[in-house]
Amino acid sequence: MLKGRVIIINRLGLHARAAAQLVRLASGFKSKIKLIRTDSAVIADAKSILNVLTLAAAKGVELEIEIEGDDEQEAFEAVQDIFKNGFGEL
Amino acid sequence: MKKIGGVIISHGQVANELLAAAETVVGELKHIAAVSIGWHDDVETAKNEVARAIKKVSEGNGVLLLTDMFGGTPTNISAMFLEHNDIEIVTGVNLPMVIKIASQNKEMTLSEMAQAVESQGKQSIYRASELLMPQKLKKDA
Repeated sequence: MLKGRVIIINRLGLHARAAAQLVRLASGFKSKIKLIRTDSAVIADAKSILNVLTLAAAKGVELEIEIEGDDEQEAFEAVQDIFKNGFGEL
Repeated sequence: MKKIGGVIISHGQVANELLAAAETVVGELKHIAAVSIGWHDDVETAKNEVARAIKKVSEGNGVLLLTDMFGGTPTNISAMFLEHNDIEIVTGVNLPMVIKIASQNKEMTLSEMAQAVESQGKQSIYRASELLMPQKLKKDA
């Protein structure tokens, strides 16, 4: 299992369209991908948009990513990248 | 995979706009249609429009009608279709419910989908301060 932390840097936070982008990306991998708010321990499955939205993660919120499965390495890099790129909104 | 079809039915333009909002989030949705019933529309005309929409989205696995409010005309018109086995209705439609039926990744029965959409709709209503600012609620108490 791979673990890492990311911070939401785009101004609108993890809003509906950003969440949809993340879910589309995550759904392309076999691995289980979990997102956990480090301040409240709310957990979401990165493959369910409605679940991801319950994180209510605004700009500045830190999330822990937990990925487990055959393609965890690629999934980990791709998921970290999408956060670092601010969902293409920077 | 055969999807469950969805028809959103509302007073005024709410149905079209809910579908448009869902499509902005998750992309084009061929298995969901919207019927907006005008305040002065004739019941037969509205019923025919719903029938057309059901036909359009049906993939043979059943169609879920999502209406705006129990007891309202859109629900009453939808209820005329309940005698068909492949139709279910869930009332009080909100955007998370539309997104739920939009994102089907495994085959479900119509009844399972109806239950999933109903509970998603209920679970998606939050008093946002409970999640975001619990300290504010403590102050209120």
